[in-house]
Amino acid sequence: MAGGRKTTKGGKSARSAQAALVAGKGKPWGTIIAVVVLVVLAAGVFGYTYVQLNAKHEQEAALAQWTPSDTNKDPSDKITGVVKKDYPSGLHVQPTQRVAYDQAPPFGGPHDGFWADCMGIVYPKAVRSENMVHALEHGSVWIAYNPDEVSGSQLDVLKQKVNGKQFLMLSPYPGLDHPVSVQSWGHQLKVDDVNDPRIDEFVKSLLRNQYTYPEVGASCDALGSGQFDPANPPAFDPSKPGPDAVPMSGQGATNNGDQRQPSGAMTTPPVVTSTTKPNG
Amino acid sequence: MQITEDETEELAPPVGPGTRVLVMTAAAVAILLLGAAVGLLVRLPGADTTNNPGTGSVEVGFAQDMSVHHLQAVTLANWAREHTADPAIRQLAFDIQSTQLEQVGRMKGWLMLWGQPEQPPTGKYMAWMAGPDSHGMAGMTMASAMPSGGVDHMPGYASAEEISKLQSLSGAALDSYFLQLMLRHHEGGAPMAQFAADHSGVPAVRVLAQNILASQAAEVKTLKELMTARGVEALPGN
Repeated sequence: MAGGRKTTKGGKSARSAQAALVAGKGKPWGTIIAVVVLVVLAAGVFGYTYVQLNAKHEQEAALAQWTPSDTNKDPSDKITGVVKKDYPSGLHVQPTQRVAYDQAPPFGGPHDGFWADCMGIVYPKAVRSENMVHALEHGSVWIAYNPDEVSGSQLDVLKQKVNGKQFLMLSPYPGLDHPVSVQSWGHQLKVDDVNDPRIDEFVKSLLRNQYTYPEVGASCDALGSGQFDPANPPAFDPSKPGPDAVPMSGQGATNNGDQRQPSGAMTTPPVVTSTTKPNG
Repeated sequence: MQITEDETEELAPPVGPGTRVLVMTAAAVAILLLGAAVGLLVRLPGADTTNNPGTGSVEVGFAQDMSVHHLQAVTLANWAREHTADPAIRQLAFDIQSTQLEQVGRMKGWLMLWGQPEQPPTGKYMAWMAGPDSHGMAGMTMASAMPSGGVDHMPGYASAEEISKLQSLSGAALDSYFLQLMLRHHEGGAPMAQFAADHSGVPAVRVLAQNILASQAAEVKTLKELMTARGVEALPGN
């Protein structure tokens, strides 16, 4: 129909028809389609790449938030509820001594010379705090729970986080004032739910964080029987420490030598003998 | 009708130069888009303006996972050296303990320089062996069965229960179990070292990975000889 009309019209204005024909013939449909397809493909490639990388960046940023770095030395500062205290390191007590800790569970202060095994160990029974605190000094994170409030599948959630994971330990802590308390050297977070995401954030922020524990590179290996036997560790003492307990200042503790000395630890000024005194 | 026909004619005017402009513009846009996409991919690894290997790289992954793997060998060897009565076991344990701890120090030193944590923050291992991620092209995936998110367990890595068992043994039983765990540990760690030796662009990483492969292959021989002499069977892979 249209063709017929066009033919009749052809005589009327041959020039314009001819022009239209030339234009139609010269129009590079193939090129136009190819270009459109190319642009769509290019946009697709760019869009896909952008979306993928964006997702990856977001994921990395989420992880980096809890990764210690020179500009983010203590990521736990962003975790609500973390208590921080500054403790002098390297103050050792004897296996027969107790420390009058200022916190329950303690997360710093004088401690036994033998550290607790902290190579991803699940302690079924409560362990002597003096050994556990030494393990914190070596960069570990200790997850403690109240055995009256956490058991069964709840406890399994915590075991899953610790079992076989280097520099983590889990133990009950009788009388704990919250269901769960997580400690690293100088840091503590108490939570009510084993699934609280802050537990993992705390672990990521502080486990072997070179900016927050005193002895970078220290071992978490078990010392063995006679020192610290992981199969039969010294038991937790629920009683109140007596008047003979070593105070938080470290008075009565042996200093580890090269460690930072707390101001209260020195009861007498150092005696300089004539033999060690330099002449002149 | 007449009007419609005139309109049809006007809608299809001769547009030779116009088409050319359209084609050129579209081609330019396409090239820019592809260039931008390539730019996004190429820029990523050094996006932190340093040339340090970044999160997810072979170098960081190897240093994190191999130091975790090595450190368990140190744990096993520490215990064996402290508790064995057999001089041959004590010598082997000392060698493993001191060598691997020194190598852990190298790897953790790199991680400190690169501003990376000691352990993979995802809690998953060997994700770096899943093939190239952002800085590779899709389709060029390396032959690997590793899921991109990594795995919970590294081959050869002993469980907490196995470590406890080792710590409960003494005498010949301790020696035998130590040899079994250590052989499986050495053999399990080899694919990680091989992957880093094959795929890392950082010479220090490649050299250490190659050295781990060679020295542990030699040590595997020693372990097998000690086991044969004591009539100890190898454990299946884990």
